[in-house]
Amino acid sequence: MKKNRSQARDIMLSVISILLLVAVWFLVSGSRPDFFPTPMATVERFIRLIEKPIMGVSVFGHVLASLRRVMLALIASIILGIGIGLVMGWNKKVRAAINPILMALRPIPPIAWIPLIILMFGVDEFPKVLLVFIGSFFPIVMNTMSGVALVDDMYLKVGKIYKAKTWQMLRHVVFPAAMPTILAGIKIAISSGWMVVVAAEMLSSRSGLGFLINRGRDSYDVALIMVAMILIGVVGALLSAVFTLIERKMCGWMSKE
Amino acid sequence: MENQEIKVQVNHLTKRFGDLLVLDDVSFNIKKGEFVCIVGPTGCGKTTFLNLLTRLIEPTEGEILIDGEPADPKKHSISFVFQEPSAFPWLTAQQNIEYGLKIKKRPAEEIAAQTEKIISLLGLEKYRHAYPHEMSVSMEQRVVIGRAFALNPDLLLMDEPYGQMDIKMRYYLEDEVVRLWKATGSTVLFITHNLEEATYLAERVLVLTNKPAKIKANIEVDLPRPRKVSDPEFIRIRKEITEMIKWW
Ligand SMILES: Nc1ncnc2c1ncn2[C@@H]1O[C@H](COP(=O)(O)OP(=O)(O)OP(=O)(O)O)[C@@H](O)[C@H]1O
Ligand SMILES: [Mg+2]
Repeated sequence: MKKNRSQARDIMLSVISILLLVAVWFLVSGSRPDFFPTPMATVERFIRLIEKPIMGVSVFGHVLASLRRVMLALIASIILGIGIGLVMGWNKKVRAAINPILMALRPIPPIAWIPLIILMFGVDEFPKVLLVFIGSFFPIVMNTMSGVALVDDMYLKVGKIYKAKTWQMLRHVVFPAAMPTILAGIKIAISSGWMVVVAAEMLSSRSGLGFLINRGRDSYDVALIMVAMILIGVVGALLSAVFTLIERKMCGWMSKE
Repeated sequence: MENQEIKVQVNHLTKRFGDLLVLDDVSFNIKKGEFVCIVGPTGCGKTTFLNLLTRLIEPTEGEILIDGEPADPKKHSISFVFQEPSAFPWLTAQQNIEYGLKIKKRPAEEIAAQTEKIISLLGLEKYRHAYPHEMSVSMEQRVVIGRAFALNPDLLLMDEPYGQMDIKMRYYLEDEVVRLWKATGSTVLFITHNLEEATYLAERVLVLTNKPAKIKANIEVDLPRPRKVSDPEFIRIRKEITEMIKWW
């Protein structure tokens, strides 16, 4: 009962703050509607966008194009990041060998890679996915590594007592114990990948939300820019909400609060 | 014949950590199906001794034989209940109990049957799908004990499993461990600080000295079960053990 009531209160507060934001937007845009479109104009632009595709792709097609790039890159960084992180966390020698490389590469922001990647791979699909991969790989590999390295010694001892073989130890003890940390890494990777994909698409692209922003800039269509930005925000928030559900499902055993 | 009865044979066991001598030439035997309690002062080397038995660490000198062969976790089935609760938090009570059986790839029917048996012996039916974070410490420790007994181990080592529990829960769990021991016929080595607990549980109590640990006394507890802590004979034996360790 009590929980329900505080939940209702939280939802109310969220709605109020969003309404406030829209109100501020109204006020600000009221003075120069040609320069900064009102919420109404933005909604209108959104409806027009649904009716009239750009580059032969509907607005949802553009969202999907961005999502597709992120998903491809995420699959690669999840497989490689967890694989490499697992070995690094488990084996101190491997960690000592690879860690310096990671430490040196990690601080380089994905945007700094852009010129190099364009020179090497052009401006096709692959370089965009590669950029998103660079943005999403590091959080996964780092979290997996530290999650595995920090598995409670007690659980390892239990595994040893029951004579778990190395792969059984990894699969039945180390991996589940590190799972919350790994999932936290994937969550960071998703939001970072979503940011990078927009940057990559603004570079050169014929589809995606970043492309829509570019198109808005080139044709001085500020409302289109606003629509694309809001979509980026909303889809990003949805991605993270969906992943939180997955996380809860997979780590229901973790004590909350 | 006499020899066949012996489960564990400890010969001149010595353990040093660098310069620190922890176990000093300890020798004794444990018979098959016996329930032995080890009591000794804090930090005297009790946990070290169990770690040697399971080969988590290697002895400096001496040997441990199980069924006449050097102790080898690959060959012998040894279970361990640690001092701290060690149920896997990502597994339910039932999955925790199944864990050792699954690691050893026992047939599915055996896993199911053995798990059911342990769950009903422990009265955990209602909690089989609960995760450790939903349990009290004592409940979690019972799951760990169930996991250890489920394997029908040759040797079950318990390191102060009830150290963190209040008296009432302790009494209850002591009866439970006796019940499991009887039902499975395991050989149990149980470490405790609590002399009353040792007298209540053990067929034999080994009293260790201060560090470096030696065996100071070997006391048979030949009392019928269920034992009564108010029984004069019980009190006599408990006092006898207490006398041995007065200088702790
Ligand atoms: N890996 C180790 N390296 C160095 N010293 C150790 C190690 N393990 C234990 N010791 C030392 O050996 C001694 C015995 O430790 P042990 O844990 O076996 O005692 P214990 O009898 O189990 O104590 P308690 O009653 O507190 O559980 C202690 O002085 C401890 O500091
Ligand atoms: Mg100890």
